[in-house]
Amino acid sequence: MAAPALKTVLSSKEVLIEAAKTKAGMVGFGMLIMLIATVVVVPIYAPFDVVSAWGSFAPWSDNPDLAAPEWVDAFDSRALAHSIIIEPGDFVKSKGCNPEGTFCTITITRGFDWNYDQFPSEVQIRLLASWAQNTSPPQVQATWERPDGEVISPLFNMFPDRRLPDATILAVSQNDDLRETIRDWALGLGAQDQPFIRAGDTLFAQVGPEMLIPTSAQVMKGRYTLQFQINAFSSVDDVDVKFLAYGTVYGLAGTDSQRRDLMVGLLWGAPVALAFGTAAALLTVFAQVIFGALGAYFGGRWDEIISRGTDFLLILPVLPVLILVGAFYQITIWQVLLIVVAFSLLGGSTKVIRSIVLQAKEDLYIEAARSYGARRLRILFRYILPRTLPYTFALIALSVPSFIFLEAALSFLGLSDPVLPTWGKILGDAYRENAIFTGSWWWIAFPALGILFVTVGFSFLGYAFDKILNPRLREE
Amino acid sequence: MLLFFVGVARYLAKRALYLSVTFVVASYGVVVIANFGGLVDDFLISQIRIDTLQQMNNDRSLQLLRQQCPACWEEEFNRRINVQIERRGLDEPFLQKSARQTVDAITLQLGKAISLRTATGSQDLWDLILERLPRTVLLFTTATVISAAVGIWLGLRMARRALSVMDRSLTVASITTVVVPSWIFGILFLLVFSFGLKLVPSGGMVSVPAPTEPFSLTLDLGYHLLLPLVTVTISSFGSWSYVTRNLVLQIMDEDYVTAARSKGLPEKVVLNKHVLRAAAPPIVTSLALALIASWTGAIITELVFNWPGLGRLYWDAILVLDAPVIIGLTVVYAFLFVLTIFILDVVYSLLDPRIKALGR
Repeated sequence: MAAPALKTVLSSKEVLIEAAKTKAGMVGFGMLIMLIATVVVVPIYAPFDVVSAWGSFAPWSDNPDLAAPEWVDAFDSRALAHSIIIEPGDFVKSKGCNPEGTFCTITITRGFDWNYDQFPSEVQIRLLASWAQNTSPPQVQATWERPDGEVISPLFNMFPDRRLPDATILAVSQNDDLRETIRDWALGLGAQDQPFIRAGDTLFAQVGPEMLIPTSAQVMKGRYTLQFQINAFSSVDDVDVKFLAYGTVYGLAGTDSQRRDLMVGLLWGAPVALAFGTAAALLTVFAQVIFGALGAYFGGRWDEIISRGTDFLLILPVLPVLILVGAFYQITIWQVLLIVVAFSLLGGSTKVIRSIVLQAKEDLYIEAARSYGARRLRILFRYILPRTLPYTFALIALSVPSFIFLEAALSFLGLSDPVLPTWGKILGDAYRENAIFTGSWWWIAFPALGILFVTVGFSFLGYAFDKILNPRLREE
Repeated sequence: MLLFFVGVARYLAKRALYLSVTFVVASYGVVVIANFGGLVDDFLISQIRIDTLQQMNNDRSLQLLRQQCPACWEEEFNRRINVQIERRGLDEPFLQKSARQTVDAITLQLGKAISLRTATGSQDLWDLILERLPRTVLLFTTATVISAAVGIWLGLRMARRALSVMDRSLTVASITTVVVPSWIFGILFLLVFSFGLKLVPSGGMVSVPAPTEPFSLTLDLGYHLLLPLVTVTISSFGSWSYVTRNLVLQIMDEDYVTAARSKGLPEKVVLNKHVLRAAAPPIVTSLALALIASWTGAIITELVFNWPGLGRLYWDAILVLDAPVIIGLTVVYAFLFVLTIFILDVVYSLLDPRIKALGR
């Protein structure tokens, strides 16, 4: 942005009002207000403790992995699978013990409807068992009843893992025993054998020769029932079951390969990007403006030092420096901010403001102020700097996007905040997990569009300011 | 006339002095940063210790030695480490080392990389740079030239029809695309054109295996170059069109342009002879700087497109903490940058009458 000559001097308030009146300004302010609204809504959708668990696995384990957004359903002729999760409390449970309390039977049962045209992406059964220390763990026997009347009994017959009593996880497609049970059952119904099967799919497949072939098996809709028969050896023993048929769609923005709800990350990306971008822009532009004004106003040696310093910092490449620092230390986003500010104390804005102040200090009213004996710092801060303020707005609005991109670039390379999800970090994860080639478009498109949205908003604002400050470009 | 040359010479001497001082100071800054104030050396030394220990633990005869004569084993361990440290030049105190590296850097004796190599196995930094530079130039310099040509052409058209629908929509397109870095466009375009429409390859510079015949190799290269080229062009034409438009509009408002118009000169002549002549210097300056800047490549864009240029070299160097490569690349760039500024100074001092006054 070249420094234009000021024809009319506008106060910063006038500039703000004028900017809001232009179309670009309206769009820019509108987008900014939407963002701020998002920032307000975010803590309601996902409180901080949700997002602070972004790096861990357990809180997300009930979500399907690499699931598309739910609304994709509307564009697909098939009914896409949504997750069906039956919590322990949703099962019908009954327990009876002998009078001595040395033997109990527990039955747990529950039916559910599978009305989707797709197989679940995974099927999981979790056993939550507790038993008396001195007795054997309870014996759990499961039965799978299908809409066509076929029954797999027993689906499994086992004791909960002694090492993990409160969460024995049976992933149907990965568990060897379960897979072989299901295979034998299907072979008994005349299925064609296959070395690699998806046992979870077979549970939901229509009976036929193809029911073991992952690519051609057909889904059977209808009511499925899960039944558990538990033999416990003490009256204090208890078993609860959680059943999960993971879907292929989830939430408003889908999930990533670690089952995380991308909506949480995307929403939290907005305040992080806004806070980082505006804080960095405010700090660096104000520092650069003040140095530029000081140099131009005092001239001589000061000007020389500040100009040389500016050239020096402009030659040093900031991104590689930050990459180096990030490769060495685990830095939080605020430490990144600190380094960015330290390397941008002088820069492009210094030059712009310098040329404006060089012109302004020759003006008559400055001479007048000097002639009645105003001190130099007073002239600088009361008379000259306010005149540069409108330009400062424009410079800030225009530099916010570049800082947002700087943060995004660092996060993309995996060198930014270890906890907070940012748009760049989500994009970087997607890049590293080859989301482009697995077709998880939502994982790439949404964070990229988030970044685009903020930057476009700010560049509209910057454009609106620019238009007012360059009177020649004003619309008639 | 003589006064003019003395003025210019004095001005240029002053500029040369400033620029070289800036260059030297910036080079030292780069050396300190690339070595992280000596931390990189400590890190590399501890890595050598770990590697050596592992190597010796895997050796049966040395394990035996350790049981029989721990002191001999210790001695062998230290000897091996010292050989490595000396071989990689890690035994110099940091101050001395940084001074040496700075002097080497500013005289452009780039030396050898610590661990990176070219495809043919050379560790010479110039070989490394010359291997990667053509690829980066092919992509980024070509894109700069195309985007400057397209952008300037669009800017002129926009200025001629200022405030028309075409001007406004192109202005919006310019200011929005210019702030978005090319890698964001790149990742989105890859999703659409490579994964979605399957029109272009997903990355890389040539197919694997590459065709051997020159003609089909060129075609293959062009096929792989297409999407990155379009991406970089789209993300950079905006600054050219917007700046050109504003510059031309500003100049069109000058009195001498009004005078030329009032003489009855055709609009085309006014634009070409009066406006463009005044608008050319700043545009040429930007073009020169952009061309030089395009030689550094771009780290993330090259990563996204899997393009093996200088940006990738920089990233690889950072990953393995290869300080000489980091220093070499940054300093060569700074040198070209400073040199370009100086050449521009020379050109302008000969063209611009105001500089003459400055020299007195």
